[in-house]
Amino acid sequence: MASSLGGASMSQTDDFEMFTPTTDVEPLKRAWRNEKAAPEILPFEGSLVGRIKEQIQSMEETIEEYSRSGIDPLIVSLYQMDLDRTQFLLRSYVRSRLQKIEKYMLYILKSDELFSRLSKEEITFTDRCRHDMKKHFDESVLSKLPNNYQDILRQSITSEEDDMVPEPPLDTFVVCKSKEYLEHIQLEDEEERASSRIEEPFEMEANVLHIIRYRPIKSLVESGKIDLL
Amino acid sequence: MYGRKACQLVKELACGEKGQLTQFNSDLFEQVISECQQHHLELQSLIRKVQEEGFDLQTTKNEDHFGALIHHLALVRNKRCLMAYVYNRAEIIRSLIWKVVGSMIPPEIQEKLCNSEEEYFKKHSARLKEYMSKLELDLTVDMVPPKDPYIQVRVLDDIGEGIVLSDDKTANFALHSIHFLKRTDAEQYISRGLMEELRG
Repeated sequence: MASSLGGASMSQTDDFEMFTPTTDVEPLKRAWRNEKAAPEILPFEGSLVGRIKEQIQSMEETIEEYSRSGIDPLIVSLYQMDLDRTQFLLRSYVRSRLQKIEKYMLYILKSDELFSRLSKEEITFTDRCRHDMKKHFDESVLSKLPNNYQDILRQSITSEEDDMVPEPPLDTFVVCKSKEYLEHIQLEDEEERASSRIEEPFEMEANVLHIIRYRPIKSLVESGKIDLL
Repeated sequence: MYGRKACQLVKELACGEKGQLTQFNSDLFEQVISECQQHHLELQSLIRKVQEEGFDLQTTKNEDHFGALIHHLALVRNKRCLMAYVYNRAEIIRSLIWKVVGSMIPPEIQEKLCNSEEEYFKKHSARLKEYMSKLELDLTVDMVPPKDPYIQVRVLDDIGEGIVLSDDKTANFALHSIHFLKRTDAEQYISRGLMEELRG
């Protein structure tokens, strides 16, 4: 009786262990890698983060239970290590998003597309950061300049557009691979294509590494067809 | 020569060690600001002159117009340099904040900041803290991927005794003592320079 009960609970935890790595840790790792490698901020994986947080909590409970019930410390520390790695992924993911926000907040606030990628908490954070940064710039530089030169986004009132907003370097090169066979990827911008004669459509085999500019594959990264590394 | 001082200011940034703050050069900074004001005065007087002579501002292309243009461009360039100086410093400040979120500004950093930067440091640090508490996630630990849940550390400063660790045990972190700790417990002390990791 006792052994069958023990067996049942073991198989349950086995199921749990089988369940987590295949479902949510892998997607988190993907989201984290993409976020790390992409020059601009990507859509926030809200539901994934929510699920991971729940799983982290249940793993913490499991580990606590194990260490209380006197299971081999080695096994417990293996579980702990797994937990630590998941937590690192989550923290690093959130952190690299915040760092992008810190860096490009003016640009993100200007662009509806990028702004819509933020989570609720990130929006509050961005708004407040912008406020703090503006105050800092006003106090240290802008208020001391002549009247027509006090804007934080424009060099002077004669500028026709916002010409002082740091933008993410979308033309930077990224290492990426595709999950499936993709064809007709246009690597050049419209103008470049008009000037160059080479009209070779670019194709990507599944799982082959490529190093290309981010801008042409931007939409494919967003739709999840291409992963960054 | 116009723009020379602003250039020096930016050069100071470029020559500094990456990720390290230098003393805020308020002397040079103020000089560039007053140069800007000077440009603006000259610019205005030239514009007035064009107007007084009865020319149309938009279409006239005489020497006064180009004189005014040069003052305008010099001013805009100075502004870019000043902004770059403050902006890049703000970036370094933010990267330093990540190491000490929630605690006081370390004195060796504080002495390098100007007033406004100090204010910014405090506020931004509070923002990060706000965000973390809303997410219920401490982002200051796990700065590098974990290899082992436990690490060996040496205490570099007298942190004191009776410090409660995450497993509810207390530890005595006397100067030079060596401990085997959970990495998450040790990390906050390592980032503040109070402990060092011993690698075998």
